[in-house]
Amino acid sequence: MARITVAERGATIDPLKHSQPLGAALVFLGLAGAMPIMHGSMGCASFSKALLTRHFNEPIPLQTTAISEVTAVFGSGESLVATLDAIRKKQRPEIIGLLTTGVTEVSGEDVGGRLRAYLAAWADADAAAEGDADAAPLIVGVSTPDFVGGLSDGWSAALEALIRAVIPADELDLGDPDEMAEDLDDRAEGRTALLAASASPAAAHPAPVGHTAVPDQPVTRRSGATGATGATGSAGGDGSPDLVAVLAGPGLTAADLDELAELVRSFGLTPLLVPDLSSSVDGHLAPAWQPTTTGGTTVADLRRLPDVRAVVVAGGCASAAGELLSARTGARLLTHRHLSGLTEMDALVSELMSLSGQSAPRSVRRARERLADGLLDAHFVLGGVRVAIAAEPDVLVAAGCLLRDVGAEIVTAMAPTSAAVLGDAPFDEVVVGDLAEFATRARAARAELVVGSSHLREIAYRLGAAFLPLGFPIFDRLGATLAGTAGYTGSLRLLIDAANRVLDHAHGAGAHGAGHAASHHAAADHGHASDGHASDGHPSHGLADSPVRPGTASTGSALEGGRSAEDLPRPPRATAEPDELDDLFQESPC
Amino acid sequence: MTAPERAALFTESACGTNTTKTEKQRKAGCPKPKPGGTSGGCTFDGAMITLVPIVDSAHVVHGPIACAGNSWDSRGSLSSGPTLYRRGFTTDMSESDVVLGGEQRLFDTICEVVERYAPPAVFVYSTCVTAMIGDDLGAVCRGAAEHTGVPVIPVEAPGFLGNKNLGNKIAGQALLDHVIGTVEPQDVGPFDVNLIGEYNIAGELWDVEPLLRRLGLRLRACISGDARYRDVAAAHRAKATMVVCSRALLGLARGLEERYGIPWFEGSFYGTRAMADTLRGFAALLDDEDLTRRTEELIAVEEAATEAALAPYRERLTGRRAVLYTGGVKSWSIVSALQDLGIEVVGSGITKSSDGDVEKIRELLGDAKMIKEGSPRELLRVAEQTGADILVAGGRNMYTALKGRLPFLDINQERHIPYAGYTGMVEFARRLDMAIASPVWDQVRRPAPWDAHVAGAAHGAEAA
Repeated sequence: MARITVAERGATIDPLKHSQPLGAALVFLGLAGAMPIMHGSMGCASFSKALLTRHFNEPIPLQTTAISEVTAVFGSGESLVATLDAIRKKQRPEIIGLLTTGVTEVSGEDVGGRLRAYLAAWADADAAAEGDADAAPLIVGVSTPDFVGGLSDGWSAALEALIRAVIPADELDLGDPDEMAEDLDDRAEGRTALLAASASPAAAHPAPVGHTAVPDQPVTRRSGATGATGATGSAGGDGSPDLVAVLAGPGLTAADLDELAELVRSFGLTPLLVPDLSSSVDGHLAPAWQPTTTGGTTVADLRRLPDVRAVVVAGGCASAAGELLSARTGARLLTHRHLSGLTEMDALVSELMSLSGQSAPRSVRRARERLADGLLDAHFVLGGVRVAIAAEPDVLVAAGCLLRDVGAEIVTAMAPTSAAVLGDAPFDEVVVGDLAEFATRARAARAELVVGSSHLREIAYRLGAAFLPLGFPIFDRLGATLAGTAGYTGSLRLLIDAANRVLDHAHGAGAHGAGHAASHHAAADHGHASDGHASDGHPSHGLADSPVRPGTASTGSALEGGRSAEDLPRPPRATAEPDELDDLFQESPC
Repeated sequence: MTAPERAALFTESACGTNTTKTEKQRKAGCPKPKPGGTSGGCTFDGAMITLVPIVDSAHVVHGPIACAGNSWDSRGSLSSGPTLYRRGFTTDMSESDVVLGGEQRLFDTICEVVERYAPPAVFVYSTCVTAMIGDDLGAVCRGAAEHTGVPVIPVEAPGFLGNKNLGNKIAGQALLDHVIGTVEPQDVGPFDVNLIGEYNIAGELWDVEPLLRRLGLRLRACISGDARYRDVAAAHRAKATMVVCSRALLGLARGLEERYGIPWFEGSFYGTRAMADTLRGFAALLDDEDLTRRTEELIAVEEAATEAALAPYRERLTGRRAVLYTGGVKSWSIVSALQDLGIEVVGSGITKSSDGDVEKIRELLGDAKMIKEGSPRELLRVAEQTGADILVAGGRNMYTALKGRLPFLDINQERHIPYAGYTGMVEFARRLDMAIASPVWDQVRRPAPWDAHVAGAAHGAEAA
């Protein structure tokens, strides 16, 4: 049980937090043929797009309503309508996620009302036009103010809103004449971020299975004939015998989702990933360029959600959506705060065994044996290693638990925002704060391994610690989405990577510093000489362009208020079992 | 910044584009962003682009987390020393700050940053939300400057004012109003010069400054690549200013001329022709016989060396076809650089260019080759139709090209490779050649085995 400490709020320095709309956009990027739209200034979308592009090394479909000073004050409704019209006509997405931002939330406009009016007018027009195929994407509006919560909250909000949009409350109670009454009540009481959504596709005819399925007819205004066409049987929990919804959090990589889907399949069950970042922004060369996402959960997949028999929740970010889906379909709920490590995976496999009535196939058994063996090998290296980790709550808990499982000591755990999942984490303390605070705490705790996004690389360097890149954003190396972090196989990959980072660091002290400046100009040769200006004089972070600083191994530094910048000595690395290490690796070249 | 002050930014007598505008066009200011049809950055982004390269200063963003959280430590401007500019300082406004006002939090944040990092100055940026709730940025900055004894410069460029270009202008105005002229240098020389609009992307300044030094020119202030605050503050003592590829900052150059009598000219560092013009431009403004002579000598030596270095690339690149998509001065300066290498420019985007720039493209290329729509789909269509070998554009279009299996060269500010100056020109040629000749293209264009038997003929042809 972790104690959650919220760092005292002063200046925010080197933020760990990202905004809600960014997290919400990620959910829509995991849906096929999708276009997320940020309802705000151009910068809201362009900054997010740039950051996502740097992380995924992929083109990111993301649009903006381009709010101006005037529309921000006098009403942004027209921009909203113009944007939706333009995008429906030009990019022709199958799914649109409309996400509010700080500027459109602060003005107090009724964005939801405006969107509902738009959808109603459009539905009427459609009815008259007998369904123009391009005119009918699934549109889901989500409230994601920048000044509340962060990336994980945005993800949760969008995923929950999506479930609400796809399976409205009144599907449970066909006698209720008031459509979406429950959702509207929830909205009024601030229990849901769903602003408005176009008609649910859920009640439409069953669609073919599979990720490549393309809806063979447009999503139409929800027919009132739920009972007639929709053999949903949602309330009874007796849906499709093999369909298992997998609701993941943003922490899982494409490799993780692949493994998870394959695991479900290996029990004769059919996984339905919502969202599915493993088939959209995983990095694949599609046959042709298109302006919307080139993979992900399709509208046809979403239509099948009422038929799921079980709901696997992987990560705290997906738990609210999972509970909702389970409640609205009667499907069995299998909640996991994460899927990294043997224990959590065993629990999931037990559940899948019970669900399918099958025992685990050979491949799964083998993967488990490998992880078990890897845990044994890694515990020599990582046992007793002092780890500082900063990440979104789900990633923090998953990676922290996995490292702790082999005896590492989590000395600093930092999250950008608070979350329920943090309370259960097996660390002494989780701090909510920024990276300047993180660096101070990690130094005080003499961390030996720093785990987190690319922003943390420099902190690790300054601490003289090994660095394991994990989470978001990873912008200074390739393949972040293809590296497993969960499942039997992904957990093993992460463990081995962590152990090797520690070993590399021990052998080639400063190895990660040497490459830094090589690709840049030898900065000291250029430009201004230091001319005695009052300068920052503080360790600064992210300096990929800074001069090469040899990783000396002197000891005994005292950090005074974080002031000495360039010449911080590297604290001595102490592992728990140096002798064992020596024995194991005495042949390694240094 | 009041509306009339902002409107004044659009009356730019020094700008050829601006002076030809009607009163009505001028009043309209920058083009209004089109909902659903834009992808560029906002005014706040533009202001940050111009000022963040002042590397020893702290840059504090007053707003919710989106503005700083999604953008800090992402700029391509390099520093030869201080790195404070890369850090992310923000007030990270919460819901209660929005309700109660964020002025106190901003004041405390500025004071804490000064206390912890002792910067020579703090730049403070407003954002949409803080502008909406009416926080008085100017008053807080004045108070904080008084309290800390450090200059605190308000930059009122909330994103919703418009595009990046406007942000550049506002940033330039902030420098004129609050920074330039506040420090008197002790070492004023006869050959001190300023650069405006050079951001030291990928270290380009470091390929150019040595040339200036060889001519005996001293860089008084670069605005703002690899800049130190006190150098910028002393920019008013330079003897000449060059505006580098930036119409948006002409106002700053004109301000320096009007207030301090510093003459200026527009130039570019891209391509050998442009470099020669630039060096001659300095010599002309400084009006020194010996400098003029040395300039001609330097140009002759550098051009000969560059020619020699380019020869092998020219041989390999001649006859290749490129589609170009960029904006501003670059849309024609790169055209001439490409033509210098023997590359045929078969299309150039003009949506981001001013009328004057378009005129120059027309002179170089003719009407037919101008691409009037900047969508990825259109770029790929033009590339395919013209049989282009490469797309030369900004990073935003990189994946357009890659997903279309088309070689790509990044020439905008996100890039990591310097193309300025004579050495940059050679590097530009080398990178073009590398991109076009890379072995990856043949591989990714091959049909997959399961498609190969269908397209057997094509496969055979490619293999041969």
